[in-house]
Parts: sequence; C-alpha cells; structure tokens
Amino acid sequence: MIIIGEKINGSIPSVAEAIANRDAEFIKDRARKQAEANATFIDCCASVPEDQELETLKWMIDCIQEVTDLPISVDSPSADILVEAYKFCKRPGLFNSVSGEGDKIDKIFPIMAQEENKGWQVIALLSDDTGIPKCAADRLRVFDNIMAKAKEYGIAPSRIHIDPLVEMLCTSEDGIATNIEVISTVRKQYPDIHITAAISNISFNLPVRKLINLGFTVLAMNAGLDSGILDPTNRDMLGLIYATEALMGEDDYCMEYIGAYREGLIGPVKK
Amino acid sequence: MSKIEEVSGLVIKGKAKLIAAAVQEALDEGNEATAVLDAMIEAMGVVGERFKNNEIFVPEMLIAARAMKKGVEVLKPHLSGGSAGVAGKMIIGTVAGDLHDIGKNLVAMMIESAGFEVIDLGVDVPADKFVEAVRENPDVKVVGLSALLTTTMPAMKETVKILNEQDFRGNIKIMVGGAPISPEFAEEIGADAYTADAASAAQKAKELAA
Repeated sequence: MIIIGEKINGSIPSVAEAIANRDAEFIKDRARKQAEANATFIDCCASVPEDQELETLKWMIDCIQEVTDLPISVDSPSADILVEAYKFCKRPGLFNSVSGEGDKIDKIFPIMAQEENKGWQVIALLSDDTGIPKCAADRLRVFDNIMAKAKEYGIAPSRIHIDPLVEMLCTSEDGIATNIEVISTVRKQYPDIHITAAISNISFNLPVRKLINLGFTVLAMNAGLDSGILDPTNRDMLGLIYATEALMGEDDYCMEYIGAYREGLIGPVKK
Repeated sequence: MSKIEEVSGLVIKGKAKLIAAAVQEALDEGNEATAVLDAMIEAMGVVGERFKNNEIFVPEMLIAARAMKKGVEVLKPHLSGGSAGVAGKMIIGTVAGDLHDIGKNLVAMMIESAGFEVIDLGVDVPADKFVEAVRENPDVKVVGLSALLTTTMPAMKETVKILNEQDFRGNIKIMVGGAPISPEFAEEIGADAYTADAASAAQKAKELAA
C-alpha cells in the first residue's frame, strides 16, 4: 500500500497556526514522525490564500526536506501553483492533484512528460467541470477522458493515482457502492494504475469515525485500492492495512506484517 | 564478517534470494562444502531455538528453511555423499485415519534442516506402510509419527505396537508428537521420545540418531 501522509495540511488548525508563525520545528516533527511510520509520500498542503501559497509551500517543502528524503506530494487546488511549486522539490514526487476540471491536466501532464520529470507521479480526481458526478458511469467517463489525455502525453498508468472521490457515508444512499464500482472497474482496466482515496472523508459527521475509516479501507482495498491519503501514525489504520494485504495474498509468508510488528509500527505500543 | 557467517545470517533472516550467491562465494573462498553446510545447520538450530522460545513466528521459520534449501542446492554438487543425510535418515508420517499435515510438515522441514534425509510418507499412513518403509531403508535411524486428533491416538498406539514387534526395532528410534500427545502417552505406548514443537523435534532427532 502506498501511503500519502496527510498530517502536513494547512486545513488542520494546529498546522495552520504553525504555518502562520513559521514554526519550522512543528512541520519538521510531523514530517519526521510520518517518515518513521513508513509513509511513502509526505503530503504538503498550505491552505492559504493563493497570493501567499507559493511562498508558503516553499517554506513548508524546505522544512520537510531538511528532515526526510521521502518524496513530497505537492498539494494545491491550483494547477498554476503546482507548476511552480514542484520545482522546490529535490526529488521527484507527486502532483496532488489534477482532475477533469478546466485545463489542469494540460498544465501538469506536459511537465510530467519532460524527460527530467519522468519520476513524477500525479493524483487525478474523477471530477470535471460539472462537479463530482453522481453515478459510477459518469465518473468512469471522466476517467476515460483522463486516460486519453495520459496516452496523448505519454504518461504511463503506473504514474497515475486515480482518486474515485470519497464522499461522506452519512448522506450516501448506497453506502460506498459507487466507489467500489469505480475502483474495481479502473483496476480491471489498468492493473498497473494506482487507485487512491482521502480515506477519512468517508466518516464526516459520524461518531467514532475511526471504525468507519477502517471498514472503508478494507472494502476499498479488496476492490483494488492500493494507495491512500491517510495518517500513517495511526497505528490501527497502519496495522489494518498490513493485515488486509496479508489476507489478500499480497504478503508472502506474512513477512511484511511481521516486519511491521517487529519494527514496532503496528500492535500495542511497547513500553 | 566471513562468508560463512554471512551465509548463516542469510539463513536466519530467511533471505532465499541472496543465499545462492553467498554460498557460491563461500565455496570460491576455499571453504569446504561440509563446513558451509554445518554452518547452515547450526543457523537453523538458532532459528529453531528462537521459535521454541516464542521469539519468532512460524513464517519466519518457514522462510529460514526455504533459504537453507536454496543454499543446499548450490552445495549439492560439492558434497560427496549427497547433500542430505549427514545426520542420518528419518521416516515421518501422520498416522492412519488422520489427514492433518501442517505440524508434520513443519517437523519434517526442521529435521531436514538439521541435516537429515527425510522420507515423508504423507498423511493417513497405515502401520504396515511405516514397516515397509523401514524395510526398504535399512539405514533409517528415526521414525516420527504425528497425530492431531484424540480419535487417532489409538492408531498411533497401534503403529508403535507393530513397529515394536519388528526385528529392526533395535536399529530405530520412534518419536511421536501432535496436539493431544503427551510425554506420558508416548511412554505408555512404547515410543522413545515425545517433543512439543518442530524445533525440539529436530534437536531430539539429532540426539537419537547420534
């Protein structure tokens, strides 16, 4: 499972405060802890007005790169910001994100197509100018358009993380049936593609959110999810991911699971 | 670290992909094939000990044995008397009426890793098949019987009884094991040894065959 560590995001109040005060230690500490917890990417989202965003991202990315070599997921709703901010990264990371909306793809994919940026990956949301399509068929239509563009620019599916868009369970009429249909269809069509999700969105406005998040993760992984935007320091989530991979037959001799336990990443905290 | 130590480390860590090259390098350095084999057997002893002490899990023992097997494959052409069997020959099987093989396989694997040539008769093995196997392999030193069910304990008793009546009985030792088996039961039915887990079984088999 590819883990995109979500803990450095200006929409989290304590992070917003650290950004406002330019509290580098706070950001570094979160980067370090996520790296120790086996994150694959460290997400970095400023969540500030666009005129301050680039400068803020530079400061945040510098902080992260001081403490870890992990690739960074450069997170901004603005493609114009992304095309500038990715240059702050010392090593190839993840553009977070594009979608079928506007000309985002036409701004990001040409950069990814350049020889020196072949290591860069991208998250592609299945929304378009009409918003988030209600049914699976419409999201898959957006998906087809994105893949046509990828082909046009020569971006291999293995560089793309498709986000089927997770909406809150409490107002859904069919549970996560739409997500599951999208995930399994995408997985069937492109065995090498990555499928990701902002997992905690599922549990908004419900009590004991953790239980919903864990249940969603198992079901989505079973359908083909292999990447997630989540908190890797959440030991229950990380443990559940390792367990699910073993149960799905993706962990020979359960050695990854045992290894995570040995490293103290999962299970009860040892005193 | 010497090449032989490296091989031992790779067995303990279960690195099947890396071990062939390391064994070859150890040989190229001028080490005797038997010395490399002994080091691997010793390493499996360490693994068995850790398993017995609940320090490692079953899969960790499995991958160690798998790594050892890969290493032995490289050694084979260099060992005069064949790779297996430096410690002796052993026959193993689950007794009549019992189809369980996980425990029996673990024991077979650990005993093989201890340097034995193991003849695995499989599951649901009638007593006369054990007798026949010993007759076909007069150099067999140990016979191991496994039973998981309380309902197949009588079959184990019967098998030991029949083996005890054979003229070759003086040449073999009989080991028994399985969830419902106890040292007392082993003694009562006339077996030579009982062990509680795969690692102890390998250790015991070595003692009995020595």
